[in-house]
Amino acid sequence: MSRGRDAEYTEYVAARLSSLRRLAAVLCDDWHRADDLVQATLTKLYVHWGRVQAATHPDAYARAVLVREFIHERRSAWVRRVSLSGEVAGPPTAATDQDVVLDLRAAVAALPARQRATLVLRFYCDLNVDQAAEILGCSPGTVKSQTARALEAVRRALGPAPAAGFGGRPAAGAEHQSYPGGAGND
Amino acid sequence: MIESQIRAMFAQIADGEPASSRVDPQQAGRRGRARLRWRRACVAGTSGLAVAAAALAVVMGPARPGPGPAPAGPAAPRQFNPLVPYASFGWLPAGESLIEGGITPAESYMDAGQTGPEWTLAVYARGQCHLTDSASVLNCPGAKLPLSQRAPDVAGHRAFWTSPGLTWQYARGGWAQMTIPAPNLSAVLHNKDGLAGTALKIAAHVRYDATTRLIFAARLAGLPGQWQVHNISYYVPDGGRLSAEQYMLTTGRSRFHPHVGDEGVWTDAPYIIVRPAPAHGTCSPHDPSSQNTSEIINGYRVVVKRSHRGGLPVQELCGAHADGLWFDIQVFGAHPSIDVATLFKDHMRLLGTSPANWTTSPIG
Repeated sequence: MSRGRDAEYTEYVAARLSSLRRLAAVLCDDWHRADDLVQATLTKLYVHWGRVQAATHPDAYARAVLVREFIHERRSAWVRRVSLSGEVAGPPTAATDQDVVLDLRAAVAALPARQRATLVLRFYCDLNVDQAAEILGCSPGTVKSQTARALEAVRRALGPAPAAGFGGRPAAGAEHQSYPGGAGND
Repeated sequence: MIESQIRAMFAQIADGEPASSRVDPQQAGRRGRARLRWRRACVAGTSGLAVAAAALAVVMGPARPGPGPAPAGPAAPRQFNPLVPYASFGWLPAGESLIEGGITPAESYMDAGQTGPEWTLAVYARGQCHLTDSASVLNCPGAKLPLSQRAPDVAGHRAFWTSPGLTWQYARGGWAQMTIPAPNLSAVLHNKDGLAGTALKIAAHVRYDATTRLIFAARLAGLPGQWQVHNISYYVPDGGRLSAEQYMLTTGRSRFHPHVGDEGVWTDAPYIIVRPAPAHGTCSPHDPSSQNTSEIINGYRVVVKRSHRGGLPVQELCGAHADGLWFDIQVFGAHPSIDVATLFKDHMRLLGTSPANWTTSPIG
């Protein structure tokens, strides 16, 4: 007997569930929330299964649904997310590797959803600017600027590199100049 | 370079994938199917409630005549009772059974299969579907079905193949449509295992005017008289009883907003989900997309959420472990007739996990 729509959906989800969960976890930095996000994404994929099948790259379509769902969910929480930045703004005082990782996680978590999603698409999914723009539904230029702002914000939150000492923050202009490859090189 | 640090951090997060997952693909599929059905029902009811649409269809008269014998027997119902699925499968291939279904005043649908839905049957109330003069298309709520060719009559009624499915006029003014688990009609008609014959046999054995009532894990009492249950999705757990899982209440002031969300929403119409609590079920109490408060109401810990969707305020009340049940009530609109907390506190009683204690009368 030939397979129907539901069988194809079930097979697709079984094969892709783990990768969708990992992507969601990187976006949310929380496996609990990630599962909620994946659950919502799977429902949408079912509703729009015809589009998934018609897509040139079904995985890219699924990834786009998940990322947009993440941004949509977080949009109304913008203010509270941004307020977290106060907790991570101070430079590290005992720079063990683990501290750096924790600070980095906090700094990235404090980014607006769209900026975090941009970083995830660029540095976790390894997408180029055009591919990321397609998923985010924006122009390549916006992806570049979002990446630049995100990296700048993260660097500002982390403070100067340990080799430069822990006293004070560099000027904004100096930060910007220190990231020539961050956003605009693609 | 901070980019490489970020790459490493993302990889570290991804590598920490826990073995256990709360994701339930089957549940997602059920919700997806229910959304598609709800969208179809809501499109049919854009000028008011779907009930009103069904009533309007009576004025418009029965479907136009097409080729082949039109049923001369009794007419199809003008609208269905949402508490009693109108149609049921009388025969299915070995190993397959009813999995889930739903019912609105205009449509009764159900999915059957072995491990997942394979056969989807939709039975429409009188006047909901209209055959074009050339008998090339059957227009049903939210669906335009191109008719490929005549099929053998089903129980003496004219039938047509669609791609890939079978549609037939089950009674005067009433049509049924069944999707067949195949990629296209050619695969059905040339299937070596006799898929076409199987489809015709399933169709011929569909029973109408079923009397099995749905059972509900919650009862609502003390509501104004015009409140009624509308758009129910049910499933069939191991016990075999038709268990309502999600449904909507209309209040007399309910209005449909087609452009909110993927499938549109009703305002002043509580959307209710009640089902046995999954082992790791939660209400996402830290969901940053809404303002959440945790409260104790009627002895149950619940999360009350307030957010906006498509410009509409949304109230939601969720309980993850309420005597073994997981429930969620969601109401859209600025001034609902009864807010979610009051609805739960003063009007709703949960009936536990045993279907033996559930009710066939969700209101009253």
